[in-house]
Amino acid sequence: MTTAMSDPGLRTPESGPGLRTPADLAHERPAAPRPVAPRRRRRRAAMATGIAAYLVTFLIVLPILWIALLSFQPSDKILSDPFSFAELTLDNYARAITSLPLLRMYGNTLLIAVVSVTVGTAISFTAAFALTRMVFRRRRAQSATRFYLLAGLAVPVYILLFPVYRLDLALGLFGTYGALILPYVAVSIPFNTLLFTGFLREFPNELEEAAIIDGAGLWRVCTSVVLPLMRPVIATILIFNVVYVFNEFPFASILINDPDMVTVSLAVSRFQGQYTVDYGGMMAAATLVLVPQLVIYALFQRQVIAGMTVGAVKG
Amino acid sequence: MVWISSRWKIVLMLAPALIVFSLFVVYPVLYSLGFSFTKFQGFGTPEFIGLDNYAALGDDPFFWQSLQNTIVILVVSLVLLIPLSFGLALLLRRAIPGGGGLRALVFGPAIIAPILVGLIWVFILDPKIGLLNRVLALFGVAPIQWIGGDTLTPYAVSLVFIWSSVGFAMTIFYAGLQLQPADVLEASALDGATGWQQVRHVTIPMMKETFAIVSILMITNVFKIFELVYMLTGGGPVHRSETLVSYMYFVTFTKQQYGYGMAISVIVTVLGAIVSIGYLLLSRGRRTA
Repeated sequence: MTTAMSDPGLRTPESGPGLRTPADLAHERPAAPRPVAPRRRRRRAAMATGIAAYLVTFLIVLPILWIALLSFQPSDKILSDPFSFAELTLDNYARAITSLPLLRMYGNTLLIAVVSVTVGTAISFTAAFALTRMVFRRRRAQSATRFYLLAGLAVPVYILLFPVYRLDLALGLFGTYGALILPYVAVSIPFNTLLFTGFLREFPNELEEAAIIDGAGLWRVCTSVVLPLMRPVIATILIFNVVYVFNEFPFASILINDPDMVTVSLAVSRFQGQYTVDYGGMMAAATLVLVPQLVIYALFQRQVIAGMTVGAVKG
Repeated sequence: MVWISSRWKIVLMLAPALIVFSLFVVYPVLYSLGFSFTKFQGFGTPEFIGLDNYAALGDDPFFWQSLQNTIVILVVSLVLLIPLSFGLALLLRRAIPGGGGLRALVFGPAIIAPILVGLIWVFILDPKIGLLNRVLALFGVAPIQWIGGDTLTPYAVSLVFIWSSVGFAMTIFYAGLQLQPADVLEASALDGATGWQQVRHVTIPMMKETFAIVSILMITNVFKIFELVYMLTGGGPVHRSETLVSYMYFVTFTKQQYGYGMAISVIVTVLGAIVSIGYLLLSRGRRTA
């Protein structure tokens, strides 16, 4: 349908080719704004757009394919003759798997992501509920608090790195997972609050009032009435934050010192030093990190895209 | 909802978020601001020196270089990224077999960790082992120093940034295109507008806001570029390819001139805040519209 609209050539009567007589066509021609494009040309144009779309997509995917290809090449081949496919090997993967603490990397990242995203979502939700549903004695205080949390949207993480490092040291958190979890929770609050309050504001509170009249307390209202209704927003927030934590590097590079606590990003940042000229090993390691991420993306593609772009669309 | 709004309940609901946010976002911002007026090398007490750090930035060629690089990346990225992603959205809007799959693939780079994006592109751009020079060599082109040379790195960083963001921007444009009222397009088609005229005179004016949103998002993201530089060149040679943020990171954590580093980060924050305020004004205008 969209194709038809964007190509005026297709807008002329199309009641089936068999039904039209040459006379009909002759009669139509002067009325039509532009000469009707012959069918073959139209099909060729459609082919051209199709080919262009596939070509552009291929170019975009190419760097990833290249890495995957190099990961099967012996290291000396990568330097001398990368385009030959004669001696593909799994040796690189054998080296990468033995030299990478894969389980540890993923375990650490998963632990940090699960805890920080759960806590961040939960406390942002309670705050957003208070800021939209509860009655403050001074209304001003309510909107001022909301604005205070939203102001965090304008803070780039880079200004936080050094102070948070000092803070972690002062609080005795440095060297624990908490050193990274707490700043992750903190930087997620503004965006979560934005989405939660935005959703709650547009949403009538009659159900909640009914529940309260039926004798439900604050806890019951939140868990049994509001949370189930907010499933889509919560999914968005979870995806957005999990992607952020999984990919985060600046905080991790400053706040994690213990090799046993490395995250995935941190491990990748050290590949160049770790593998130096073992390009095959480095590419195998990169592929091992890339593939799980791409598989998860492929499975939840729709939700991930929606989750990551909602901030832009909703504002 | 007065019934559930006793004072201690409100406090209980708000306190966790307020405490964590104040302690790990607000306090650090003030702390950085305070430190930017001091000289501090990590030991002893910070010495108050007023605006000396900011004055010193004026004489720091590396700071100007990193500012210039950031601006180059900003301009190149925006000039190429906006038309490319919009064009891609127009292209992928057509009925193409497997179109949904193509859109997912194009979005793909946006979910890859920036640090891994940097590593991937080392193997494309590296003058010795990179794919780009290998392919060019097949056509007899001499190796080009895409990264690690004197001038090209910021452009290379733009290229990588565009690669990782084009699908994201395309998706926002695509969503905007879906929201276009069909009757307007139909009317213009009946009036004899060609495909290109429709895009130029109907679609683009109707999507002004989407263009603004994508631009502002991309500007904020350019100011955050760090991992790409870190992986591609480490800011070298001699800070020639540094961005504001990567230079701040170097000054603070490698050189350990904390006061000076914080002054740079305050400047980055102010620049970012200006953009964010523009964004807020824009989205507010949208809500009332």
